[in-house]
Amino acid sequence: MIEYFYPNEAATPLLWEPVLFAYTLLVSGADLLILASLGYLTKKLEKTIPLLLILGISFFSVVLLGPLADLRSPHKAPLLFSIPHISPTYTTPGISLIAFQSILWIIALILSIVFMLLYFSYPMYLKSKEVERFKGLYLAFSLGVDSREKYDKLSLITKGIAIILLLPATLWGLYPSTLLISQTWSFVWRNWVMLPVIYFADTFVVATAIAILVYFIWRRRRMEAEVIQPLLKVHAAGSLSVSALTALQLSIWWFWFDDSIIIQSLTTITSWMFIVIALLITSFVLSLIALRFLVISILVSLVAFAGTIANKWNILMNSQLISKTGMGVFELHLPADWLFKTASPIALAIFLLVIISSLFPLEVKEVG
Amino acid sequence: MDRRDLIKLSAILVLTLPLASVKAEKMSKRYSMVIDVTKCYGCMACVAACAGENNVPIGYFRTWVERIVKPEGNVIFVPKQCNHCENPPCLPPCPTGATYRDENGVVLVDDEKCIGCGACVQACPYGARFMNPIKGTADKCTFCDHRLKKNLLPACVEACPTGARIFGSLTEKSELKNIIDTRPTQTLKNYTNANPQIYYINLPKEADR
Repeated sequence: MIEYFYPNEAATPLLWEPVLFAYTLLVSGADLLILASLGYLTKKLEKTIPLLLILGISFFSVVLLGPLADLRSPHKAPLLFSIPHISPTYTTPGISLIAFQSILWIIALILSIVFMLLYFSYPMYLKSKEVERFKGLYLAFSLGVDSREKYDKLSLITKGIAIILLLPATLWGLYPSTLLISQTWSFVWRNWVMLPVIYFADTFVVATAIAILVYFIWRRRRMEAEVIQPLLKVHAAGSLSVSALTALQLSIWWFWFDDSIIIQSLTTITSWMFIVIALLITSFVLSLIALRFLVISILVSLVAFAGTIANKWNILMNSQLISKTGMGVFELHLPADWLFKTASPIALAIFLLVIISSLFPLEVKEVG
Repeated sequence: MDRRDLIKLSAILVLTLPLASVKAEKMSKRYSMVIDVTKCYGCMACVAACAGENNVPIGYFRTWVERIVKPEGNVIFVPKQCNHCENPPCLPPCPTGATYRDENGVVLVDDEKCIGCGACVQACPYGARFMNPIKGTADKCTFCDHRLKKNLLPACVEACPTGARIFGSLTEKSELKNIIDTRPTQTLKNYTNANPQIYYINLPKEADR
């Protein structure tokens, strides 16, 4: 095989390695918020909404820490919000997806917090009546909603916010992949035509896997079918979609690059794709079994994590190791602090989850 | 000044503003470069001159020379660098507008605004950008804009012993414009629609990558 790459690529083949977990696990916060909004609007997944909402906000609120850890000049990060490149001019044509999504992140975060406060307003009032400690705090969170009637009236506004939230959350669910495919010239990303749909479906797989895992840890053997089964169904659909779409992408590459040196460059990527397909099909089968035997859902979650991390590793890391020329492959060298950089935002997300879930209940009796 | 004068003045201002901007565009020099591959023998003087002039960190390159062995055994050297494209793919992804093109079409990076996200590096189809580990910002060929301001040629052009690199303006009468108008030239990776402004003479097809 002819090895050909640009000298600057050889100096730093990997650029966005600290975003791996942020764009694998934390970005699923957007999809958790989508599920919470849809659940509220359709009155399905009703018992799951608090869990999805709290998890979604905990994860989504720290999603930008991944890219922040990757900045070479992090002290200038506020410029992203003070001079965002979101309007084209002669000197700076086009619109930056990074800037656009950063602005959307603020909008989505505000909307989701308002959604959460409105959703929990009446349950917070009820809680304030049950407890003595922090009574004032719970009353403040009730926003003055002290009757079922007021809560029902408020539900119109809550529904409106849930609808508006769907747009930025969906764009965030699609985000990293749209950036990779449209605003880079990485050989693999440009040719990974199914990437946006794979990424979007995969984020649902992660979102439901996280919700299942947290619910399992929280309720252990007292899991309720009403809560876990809708999650398992969404998860099964997502796992099957990602497997099928990945298989389709493999076929497209074989069709396009058959017998060329490019397919040799892609060997690592394609072999990882088989692993992803195998793991997610296993997760799909397990989720069908778990619909009857709820205790298996922990396995569904763990297998899905393995599959989705393999998928994102393939998309974000292995893809960068192929030269922009498509004719060279680099070896992986990760910096010593890589794991710390990529995993620390997850730790903060978990910390936020603990804080928020201690204020708001993961399960409410009174819903809109 | 009465109301009539005020309206007149406003009308003049409104009508002349677009004219002024057209004039500004016409005045732009649209800098470009022609590289005659047959004249390059791979001495790397341009690479060394560029590195020295611009403090390019070791291991990184604002310009480099590719060595291509043709099937019949001939060795060809092809200098490459930022193409200062007419439609630069590296500009839209920049989240702060730190990377921009000036009135002469030169694609530059404003170090004060660059947050070091690497989006432009990922977006360049030519591998011409890199993250400068010392400055913490994106780095690339600037056509030695600091030298252009002093009416000097880019360091790589000045250092080339065979005159393989010809630099000039596309909007003024120049040797470069004459070559582009009269001789067949090639550009790299046309499928990207970037419309690169580094023109090659006798570029072998193996080098178009």
